[in-house]
Parts: sequence; C-alpha cells; structure tokens
Amino acid sequence: MSDQDLVVETVRDILTGFEPFALTAERRWDAGLWGALASAGLTGVGLPEEAGGSGGELADAVAIVATLARGAGAVPVAEQLLVAGPALLAADLDLPSPEEPTTFAFADAVTVHPVDNGDGPGRFTLNGTVPDVAWAGVASHVVVLAPAPAGISGAVLALIDASSLPATDAFNLAGEPRGSLVLDQVGTSGTLLTEAQASEVRARYALARAVQLAAALEQVLAWTVQYAGERHQFGRPLGKFQAIQMELAEMAGEVTAVSALTDAAVQALDRGGNVVLAAAAAKVRAGAAVEVVARLAHQVHGAIGFTQEHKLHHLTRRLWSWRDEAGSDLAWSRVLGAGVLAGGPDAVWPALTRVV
Amino acid sequence: MSSNSLTLAPAPRSEAAEQVRAEVREFLAAELAAGTFDTHVDTWLSGVDPAFSRKLGDRGWLGMTWPKQYGGHERSAMERYAVTEELLAAGAPVAAHWIADRQSGPNLLTYGTEKQRQEILPRIAAGECFFVIGMSEPDSGSDLASIRTRAVRNGDGDWVVNGAKVWTSNAHHSHYGIVLVRTTPADPAHRHAGMSQLLIDLSLPGITINPIRILDGGHHFNEVVFEDVVVPGDMLLGEEGNGWHQVTAELAFERSGPERFLSTYPLVAEFARRVADSDDPAALATLGRLSARILALRQMSMRIAAALDRGELPNIPAALVKDVGTTFEGDVIEEIRRVVDVTPSLDSPDPLGRALAEAQLHAPGYTLRGGTNEILRGIVARGLGLR
Ligand SMILES: Cc1cc2nc3c(=O)[nH]c(=O)nc-3n(C[C@H](O)[C@H](O)[C@H](O)COP(=O)(O)OP(=O)(O)OC[C@H]3O[C@@H](n4cnc5c(N)ncnc54)[C@H](O)[C@@H]3O)c2cc1C
Repeated sequence: MSDQDLVVETVRDILTGFEPFALTAERRWDAGLWGALASAGLTGVGLPEEAGGSGGELADAVAIVATLARGAGAVPVAEQLLVAGPALLAADLDLPSPEEPTTFAFADAVTVHPVDNGDGPGRFTLNGTVPDVAWAGVASHVVVLAPAPAGISGAVLALIDASSLPATDAFNLAGEPRGSLVLDQVGTSGTLLTEAQASEVRARYALARAVQLAAALEQVLAWTVQYAGERHQFGRPLGKFQAIQMELAEMAGEVTAVSALTDAAVQALDRGGNVVLAAAAAKVRAGAAVEVVARLAHQVHGAIGFTQEHKLHHLTRRLWSWRDEAGSDLAWSRVLGAGVLAGGPDAVWPALTRVV
Repeated sequence: MSSNSLTLAPAPRSEAAEQVRAEVREFLAAELAAGTFDTHVDTWLSGVDPAFSRKLGDRGWLGMTWPKQYGGHERSAMERYAVTEELLAAGAPVAAHWIADRQSGPNLLTYGTEKQRQEILPRIAAGECFFVIGMSEPDSGSDLASIRTRAVRNGDGDWVVNGAKVWTSNAHHSHYGIVLVRTTPADPAHRHAGMSQLLIDLSLPGITINPIRILDGGHHFNEVVFEDVVVPGDMLLGEEGNGWHQVTAELAFERSGPERFLSTYPLVAEFARRVADSDDPAALATLGRLSARILALRQMSMRIAAALDRGELPNIPAALVKDVGTTFEGDVIEEIRRVVDVTPSLDSPDPLGRALAEAQLHAPGYTLRGGTNEILRGIVARGLGLR
C-alpha cells in the first residue's frame, strides 16, 4: 500500500464516525471531525515538521483533501493544507499550530499600512472588509492576500488572528460559512509578495477547490452509478435503461476529463512550475463539469435525491458553490484566456501545449 | 468503484516528444511560409495531399512507432502523439495517409503475415501507400455485426468478394482497404462469428468507387462496390473468422487520438486572433473555457497513447475520449458564434467566417464517424458496470 493509500484509508476510517450533516447557522462545521483529524496529525500533512507540520508530500495533502471532499467533511482542511499553510511557509511567516484551523481569503478591498517597513517580513496595520471568508467564525486564523501599500507593487500576505474578530453570517449553497471579517486597525505580521508570487497564491486556492470539485464529482458519479443499479422501475434496475446509461456515460466523460486535468495541474504544482494557468484550467474545467454532473445526478436519483434525507445534496450543493469560489468561473476563464494569448494570437497552440 | 476501468495512469513526460514537437513546428512554419498548404478545419478528412504526406514520410513522421525493419522509426507513442497534434493544430493536409498511419499499419503489424508487412508497411511509412477502412455498409452502420459483404474461397484458394461498403473515406485516393467481410453465413445465435478481414488492392477488377458528397459539396467518402472481385488467398488479414475481434481491437487506435478533439482547432486559432484584436471580456472568457476543455482532452488522450505504448488496449477509455472530444468539437462552434459577430460562409473574406463555415458544415460527421456517440456511451456504460 502506498503512503497515499494509507492516508486515504486513515481519513476514511475517521470519516465513518462523522456522518455529514446539514450545516446551519448554529452548526457551522464539524468540530468533532476536525478534532479527530487534528489529533491524528492529518491537519499538518504536507507542511514540514520544522515548521510545526506533520511532514509528508503535497500528494498526501491532496489525497486528504480529496477524501474529505468525497465525504463532505465540513472542515477547513483544503484551505489549511493546500493554501494557507504553504503560502505562509513560502512567505517565511510562522505557521499557527496545525491543530487550530487556518483559512485563506483574498482581501482586495483591505488597505495595508506598513508599521515599520513594507520590505520582507514585517508588521502591518490592516483596515477594511475581507469578504467571502471560507469558514468565517470557525477558523482561528485567516491568511489574507491584500493589495500592497500605496506606491508599492505586489501584494501583502498577512496572518490575522481571527479568534476575537466577529464574522458576519453568510453561507454558501451547502451552508458552509462564507462570511466577512471587518478589520479595524488590525496589526499583524505579513510579507510583501511580488505580483507573480501573489498570483501563485491565488492559483493555489483555485487548485484546492478544483481538487475538491474533482473528488466530489467522482463521488457523485459513483453514488449515481450505484443508485442506478439498486433502484428498480418497470421491473429492472434503472441502469438497464439505455436513456439512463447515456446519462451516466455522459457524467463519466465529464468526471474523467476533470480528474485527468486536475491531476496534471497538481503534478505541475509539485514540479514547482508556474501553476497559474494549470490551476485556472483545472478550476474552469471542473466548474463546467458541475453543470452536467449535478444536473444528471439529480435526474437519475429522482425525487429522493431532492431531499435532505438523502446524501446526494451534501455534494451537489457543494459542487454548485465551489465552482464559483476561490475566484469565479468567469474570472479564471479570463485568466486562462489571457494566459494562452500572452504570446500573441499565433502562439496560442504552443501555449496550450505548455500549460500542463 | 466500477468506473476505475475508465481511469488511466498519467502519461510520462517525454523530452523526446517535446523535441520532435519543436521540429514539426519548424517544418510547418516553413511549409506555410512557402505556401505549400492553407490551414483548414477537419483536414484529416478533407486535406488530401500526397506530396505533403510524402514529405512527412521523408522526415520519419509516419510509422513512427513501428519496428525499423518495416520502415518504422521505433519511437514512442508520445512522440507520435506530439507529431499528430501539431499537424492537426496547424490544419495541415494529412488526410491521404491518416488512416494508414493511425490504424491500418498497426493492424498489419499485429495481424499481418510477414510478406504483407514487408510489402506494405515501408510504403506506408514513406507516405506512399494509403488505406481505407471498409467496415460500414448501406444496411450496417452502428450494427456492424450485420454486414452482408461476403467472401468465398474459389477452387484456387482465392477469395471472391461481393457486396458494397459505404462512407469509405478517401477510397478514391487510396491503394488498399482493410475490408470486413462475412466468410461464413450469418448465424443469428453467434452474431460476431464468421467475419474476417481482407487486405484488398483497390485497383482490382470488379471494384467500383462511387463518390458521395458531404454537406459542403466535398467529395471525401464513397460507396465501394465489389462484384466478383478475386482477392488472392494470401491477402487474408489475421485469422479467418476472427474479424470481429480484430476490428474491435483497432478501435483504441481509431477513437482516442487528438483528431477526436482537434478537427476544429483551426477555428479556435482563428477565434483567438479575433479575441486578441478585441477587448471583449466575454470572448476572452470563452477562449479560456475552450482552452480548459482542450487541456483536459489532451490529458485524456495522452494517457491513452501512453497505455498503447505499454501494450494495453484501452477500448473503453478510448470510447470515452471520443465521446467527450467530439462533443467538444461541436460545442466549439456554438461557443464561438455566441460571442463573435460573424456570418459563416465558405466564401467569407473573413477567415473566421470561413473557418466557422467549414466547421459547421463538417460538424454532423464528428459525432458519427468512428462510432456514434450513442454507441460510445453504451460502451462507457459497460465500463461503469451497467451492462
Ligand atoms: C465523415 C464520415 C466518415 C466515415 N468514414 C468511414 C470509413 O472510412 N469507413 C467506414 O467503414 N465507415 C465510415 N463512416 C461510417 C460511420 O462509421 C457510420 O456513419 C457510423 O458507424 C454510424 O452508422 P450509420 O451512419 O449507419 O448510422 P445508424 O447506425 O443508422 O444510426 C443512426 C442513429 O441511430 C443511433 N443508433 C443506432 N443504433 C443504436 C443503438 N443501439 N442505441 C442507440 N442509438 C442507436 C445512432 O447513434 C445514430 O444516432 C464514416 C462516417 C462519416 C460521417
């Protein structure tokens, strides 16, 4: 068994003790699941031990995120392992304890003032609203990417202690918290990033969502295939009807396309290449698949899949949300479009052959 | 999960493939500059240019993966993949040799006699010998097992063939066909039994090739009629009665290549030029979305090339790639026309209008040739364990 299989098995075992539930304003996350993952060291995987993490490869972290996404685990592991943690490390900032959830957000409307200098790790004061914070009200820390102070190019990556900051009530379609944080003269440590470094951090966030989307899409397909084998109508399993087979095959095509590309984008990240276009592509392709897969999954499941009793909604509602988070489908489509055009219109094909 | 059979391992990264890719690009740029070809959509159906095919043969870009003793170059499937992609992306005239290089040659390598291989493979690799696929018949399309063309042995041990094939792409330019025939009468209880493949020289007496025109008026496919055609006994391909198995084994080659999503790439390239000249954010986003789909298809298709390199026959994933790929080829047209103001016409002074017209008039073929998407989805459903 490979390391990743082992990691996946461990996460699966833990997940069996925590059935997914419908999130509400009172029940914003699965604290029990988080606790179990944290005590198994799984909330620090992929982050080096010297920095307080549990070690392991990027692929291990990706496997954990994917497995949790399949199980609709309501915990900020994708944000922590794939985005906030690596971004802090790359920026030479201290990692909060992996046992405490750390999330990530773009803070385009936040203004940043250097306290002593804006060059290298330093102190900053932040003012303004950070919108769409994944796990707002749950995460103890938020890593924000904000515009650099006036007159300086690039962006500032700052670590905010969110434990005492009130979050607004806002939720995505699956009930996952996506509230805002208001920063009023919040002092914190941060690092000035170049424009390229900042784009890479954004791309990591998109790729994290693509990994979750890919895994959830695979799971929705598996559930639907299974259901089509179990549910009988007109004396036969649904899966024996050609119309249903066509729908499932169409879903499979979409899912396979997303998995192949997301896989390739993760490998690109692992090789240390520029991952912006690869991540954009994976995110956009996954978003496009959601349309087909979620629609047909509900169609095949009939009315039972339309209820909160059935598990299907735990993933379809997440799919509908995740595709527009971490940068919208439209935004990443433009990034990718502009990226392949960057060398001029005659160089689009060569650009396409280089992305992944 | 049962869809595992649809999942393939990632393709290895290949320096050699990138190297040959660069060489092909350089060659194509020089040919375009010299005016030896114009870019068109769907050139692997319509771009017949034997001189161009010979040039590719001279460069070692045909029969790339075959053993050297048969004129091949013993290169990897990933290298071949890069070459085919570059040719399609450039809209180069590759139809003359396409079937022979992609399908008939590998078929001969697997099933051919030593004599057949020695006589034919080096000529394919040189770009001098072109092939057709003789499968479909007037009454047998999706239900290929219902073919009626028959071959019977005469007293000399030769085959006498009677019947008709249709939709035979480029029969009027080709030298040989690999033709699926009944060699024993149909048995309703064993529909796939009693078929064989014959290697037929298309210049033999008794063969008539009648043009069938497609929507844009082009003559690319044909009806091929066989009237008492005497085919030498040693032109059986593979085993007598094993035709069905041989035909289905071909399909991984036939269905998974980049031609199943890049037939319309020249339209995308033309669209990209338009996007670069405008500052329309909707068009830019469309280019991004199309790019993401192309990138995913490349990953899928390259994985199959790698699996073929490993000696596997991934027929089910190949069917899946063709379904997703050809669906994309049709969608491209709609996505682009939604964001550009251009009227499609083969006579348009605007290259985008021309490319759109070519793509549109060829579009119904994408999801038919090589097996319809309904049939492909049936195969995928089998891969999902539903059948
Ligand atoms: C451009 C082009 C080039 C071609 N080149 C060649 C060639 O070189 N050599 C060759 O042998 N053939 C060639 N073909 C033929 C091609 O393989 C057939 O068109 C194809 O197999 C479909 O057969 P058909 O056209 O008879 O359609 P039919 O089989 O009559 O099907 C008509 C429709 O019914 C659907 N259908 C049929 N059966 C089922 C089923 N069981 N379940 C659900 N739906 C079903 C089909 O999907 C399709 O939508 C070519 C076709 C085209 C368009």
